[in-house]
Amino acid sequence: MATDKELNDFLQNVERRAFKQAVYAVRKDESALDIVQDAMIKLAEKYGDKPAAELPMLFQRILQTTILDYFRREKVRNTWVSLFSGFGRGEGNDDDDFDILASLEAEQGSAAAESSADQVERAQTLRLIDDEVQKLPTRQREAFLMRYWQDMDVAETAAAMGCSEGSVKTHCSRATHALAAALKAKGITL
Amino acid sequence: MNTDDINLAYKIRHALDEQLDNLPASTVDRLAIARAAAMARKKPHAAPHTAPHAGFGWGAFGAFLSGPAMSRLAIAVPVLALVIGMGGVYQHEQQQQLAALADIDAAVLADELPLTAYLDPGFNAYLESQQRQQ
Repeated sequence: MATDKELNDFLQNVERRAFKQAVYAVRKDESALDIVQDAMIKLAEKYGDKPAAELPMLFQRILQTTILDYFRREKVRNTWVSLFSGFGRGEGNDDDDFDILASLEAEQGSAAAESSADQVERAQTLRLIDDEVQKLPTRQREAFLMRYWQDMDVAETAAAMGCSEGSVKTHCSRATHALAAALKAKGITL
Repeated sequence: MNTDDINLAYKIRHALDEQLDNLPASTVDRLAIARAAAMARKKPHAAPHTAPHAGFGWGAFGAFLSGPAMSRLAIAVPVLALVIGMGGVYQHEQQQQLAALADIDAAVLADELPLTAYLDPGFNAYLESQQRQQ
């Protein structure tokens, strides 16, 4: 059974990555924050007494469900709003928050030896990788992020995604190949 | 996936982790607030852990009422009541049938006609001839 400290530590550890996962899916920072908050509250309310080892899988499952709920609500809302509002992706694109200047500022202390040109190039590379991850098909992106970013094993990822372990491996493999091809096409080597 | 793919995957992971450090302060603050809100609504531990010293007071009783034992009882009690009810109806029907048979037996025994008359073939022939005349 997870103690308060274990749950708090777990949430603190995953909250930023969960936020990015939600941003990749819904492409709006504000909505992503709401989704992460909802997922955290649902985890604490309903599964706060579960063992700490089960929390990553449960949280991912809740997060994916909350993202799906968001899209369902959006779909219903958009049917009542004018056609021109579309899916609201144009106006609320807060990706610009991750601007190069902000990343430059953050890196200045740690990488003082790097030239400004290197820093700009590095920031651009990170931004491109971010974009390419966002462009992945949803299921591939979910599988890739859970396996390699959230450190979940194949079985946990399969349970969180509600699919077989074979499907998880296939999604991960395709995602990695797609990313490799996209980065290569842009001349990025890691 | 071969080793190159896995290496690439972990390099991408590293790049994504670097991006996390660049999140705006407002976003980080908002996530901390969300975490605090979630912790405030954390599901309490199960009854035996939350009120071990409460004895048989209202606390223990309340925990019992809201615990998993109560939810199992909520299913078991109506099922038990249904089974007992069905058994009662069956018993009542049996009693009714026995009472009806006893009434018939009593009527036959109390009749002026002796019981041996029903075994007499001549009496049966008499009854048939009576029915034909009617």
